Amino acid sequence: MPNHDQLLTTLGLLIVAAPVGLLATFFVAFLGQHRMQEPTIGRLIQGTIYVSLFAALGAGATMLVRGVPQHAIELGDWVIAPNYHLKFQFILDLLSVSYVMLTLVLCATIGAFSTRYLHRERGYNRFFVLFAIFLTGMVIAALSDTVETLFAGWEMVGLSSVLLIAFFQERPAPPRNGLRVWIVYRVCDAALMLAAILMHEINGEGDFDHLVGRQAWPEHDPLLIGSHFALLGVLFIIAAAGKSALIPFSGWLPRAMEGPTPSSAVFYGALSVHLGVFLLLRISPVLDSAPWLSWLLVMLGLTTAAFAYLAGRVQTDIKSALAFASLTQVGLIIAEIGFGLRYLALIHLLGHACLRTLQFVRAPSLLHDHHQLENAIGMPPRAEPAQWEQRLPIGVQRWLFRFSLERGYLDSILERTIARPFVALFCGFDRWECRWARWLEGPAQPAPTAAEIVTKRS
Amino acid sequence: MNRLAFSWLEFTLLLPLIGAVGVASIKPPVRAARWSLGFILATLVGAAVTAVTFFSAPESASLRLGTFKADDLAAPMLPVLAILHLLTLLGTSKSRLSPMFCVRLLLSAGVTMAAVTCQIGSGLIFLMVLAALLPVWDLKSRGRRTRGFLFYVGPFIALLLVGWNFARGGSPVWALGLLLLAVILCGGMLPLHGWLPTLFQRAGFGTAMLYVLPLIEVVAALRLLLPHAPEWMLHATSIACLVTAVYSAGMAVVQNEARRFFAFLALSQTAMVMFAVMAHTATSVTAALCLWISMILSLTGLGFSLRALEYRFGPLSLREHHGYYEQVPGLAIGFLIAGLASVGFPGTIGFVPMELLISGSVQQGLGYSVTLALIAMLNGIAILRAYFSLFTGKRPTTSVSLQMTAPERTGIVIIALLVFLAGWFSPAVVASRHRVAEELLERRQVLPPSPPFSGGRH
Repeated sequence: MPNHDQLLTTLGLLIVAAPVGLLATFFVAFLGQHRMQEPTIGRLIQGTIYVSLFAALGAGATMLVRGVPQHAIELGDWVIAPNYHLKFQFILDLLSVSYVMLTLVLCATIGAFSTRYLHRERGYNRFFVLFAIFLTGMVIAALSDTVETLFAGWEMVGLSSVLLIAFFQERPAPPRNGLRVWIVYRVCDAALMLAAILMHEINGEGDFDHLVGRQAWPEHDPLLIGSHFALLGVLFIIAAAGKSALIPFSGWLPRAMEGPTPSSAVFYGALSVHLGVFLLLRISPVLDSAPWLSWLLVMLGLTTAAFAYLAGRVQTDIKSALAFASLTQVGLIIAEIGFGLRYLALIHLLGHACLRTLQFVRAPSLLHDHHQLENAIGMPPRAEPAQWEQRLPIGVQRWLFRFSLERGYLDSILERTIARPFVALFCGFDRWECRWARWLEGPAQPAPTAAEIVTKRS
Repeated sequence: MNRLAFSWLEFTLLLPLIGAVGVASIKPPVRAARWSLGFILATLVGAAVTAVTFFSAPESASLRLGTFKADDLAAPMLPVLAILHLLTLLGTSKSRLSPMFCVRLLLSAGVTMAAVTCQIGSGLIFLMVLAALLPVWDLKSRGRRTRGFLFYVGPFIALLLVGWNFARGGSPVWALGLLLLAVILCGGMLPLHGWLPTLFQRAGFGTAMLYVLPLIEVVAALRLLLPHAPEWMLHATSIACLVTAVYSAGMAVVQNEARRFFAFLALSQTAMVMFAVMAHTATSVTAALCLWISMILSLTGLGFSLRALEYRFGPLSLREHHGYYEQVPGLAIGFLIAGLASVGFPGTIGFVPMELLISGSVQQGLGYSVTLALIAMLNGIAILRAYFSLFTGKRPTTSVSLQMTAPERTGIVIIALLVFLAGWFSPAVVASRHRVAEELLERRQVLPPSPPFSGGRH
């Protein structure tokens, strides 16, 4: 093996090993009932991210200098059984290295921001444990070269996101919203799991290179034709739609803003919301297998962008407005993928994630910023000029306003068509079962007295 | 063969029974519990040594005791069952301890471990009947009505004995049908599942766990039914099991009582294991055997946390948010990791078995895989809903410390270690379970469909 191959393998493993080591440290601390101090946690987080980031930079630089388009890191077969093959493998290529660098840069920024922002906050340790799970999940998902590896990272990101939405757990709204987001995530997880199984059925393995060929991203060897590839594409699109809050799953995005600002910034402004986009970029050759899949993606992206633009226009809090602004851009990136503009989509993703993170971390000081601006220019900022909506008939304007305010009725549609019938059906079963159990038990008997219980025990 | 060689299996099987006799004569509950803990720990050591001996020297004389033998199927189950009993004892608070509970626990350990190692049909039938009587004893000792439970247990015992008697005598399919009915009644398959949530509500939580979680019916299905049952019978049962798994997963989502939630979650998992057995392909049986282990360990952890909460706060409702995290964060973490392991979260002990099960089900048809993914999704939603209900919300104010006790801390550490570290042994476990699955299926090919059980030995 040439030297640069060994170096790339070492660096690639280091990118993943550092966050895994961080999680292991937290786990050992939990087992030993050891409560870490704030400065220790801050140093651990920053140290871990720097190690990973420098390894990623080193890997990127080596690949550029040596002209290596991609480098696979095999960890070997984990489980081999007939009809089942579980393999963990990572890949360094343009897409994975770009995304992992973005992840690490933004996590380093948010990590440093959060150590001050959450200083002496109840749940400081909890936040950083969840942050570490998120970081590990993102790094694993970004570098994954098999669908199982991607799934592992994907699930870790989902769980940490949901628990961070419910971070302020004394209030009733955050856990309720966290549960709603979890339900959407579980739907998209199920789609991804089924896609993984279908990949195994098609190729016998879950490796992406069996699907997209051995050429470096975004090129691909095989021409994938067949109904099973179309089905695979649909499953991947459902998974991505759930994670990236595309229509009809967009309702969870504003709910996710219940979490602390740093988590909103890094998850829903920058990284987590783009994970679906990343998935579609990774499996983009599958989308080429049927033209209608690409058109479906274009329609989905543009519809989401239009919806998010409208919903964002009527938001009255800055975090929700930013969330919908993010979603507008995500919709456009998805449309770019559908049009086959993969490089543009990647550049759009990287730029948008950085800008949105900055906006989110500035969000808590928005009023302060406005005051500073007023003081600087000596008068209030110019009022917003008239928008195109104001040229519409008043009836349409009102309808659009209502539609945007109700966030496209997406939540209520899903609730009325799926959630309520499901709950009503199973609650009905439950009532029936309780009646049956009571009938079997016979008429209620008086509860035993304390003396009777003591007598029976003895 | 050295007749004076120390028999580890004899030690493992007889020790809890000797312990039960000894503990029955101890009056003070705490002393009885201490002695029981000693016996269970010694049993765990014996079980672990038996398992290790089996994998290093499968023909060792120390693995046999009359009709009992630590074979490929039973050897890894012995330590798992010992851990179930150990954690159940550790999770019982001093206020709920009674000498008779300890006796039942030790008897249950002896009976379940004897059942998995028993090599003759009549022995297994006898032990299954014996195991079913322990909850009746518990209900009686609490002064609760047994009518509802006996409504199911009576027919179960009758079907088991009649079915076994005629099947042994060479009678054909209908006798097997009776045996199968007994097995699915014992497993709580739809519509014969009513006893299971009722048992969790009426009997002690620990007693219910000890009866439901070992899944002795899986042993009966593997040893008595799988080699002889006709194809159509297994196919029909697998569909019934799948329907049960979906139904109980849905029921777990809408439950408002923690015990009923746990009961339906356990039922859903049991039904998945039974489905995989009845699907009788090499991959599905391998998945069933792996899932059997992971299910026992993860649900034991979940039950441990719920019981510890019940001892502090009384019956647990899932209607409102209780905010117990602030009081007992260790239990919250234990609940979450054990719950997620039970639904196959990546990195935990349940991940590989769930993947294996869903992948293996493709051989039956993609519809089965979709259904299993749906079940995993619903169970995941149920777990997080329960977590949010119990551990988030306004924290209760108490004048006494509710921190975890030393045995509880030990239990949580054991659970955390098992749930995470046992996942790393997946390759070896899957390989050994696959070997067992192939042996069981070979037996099915070699033996004629009927008459079964000639000679009674298998």
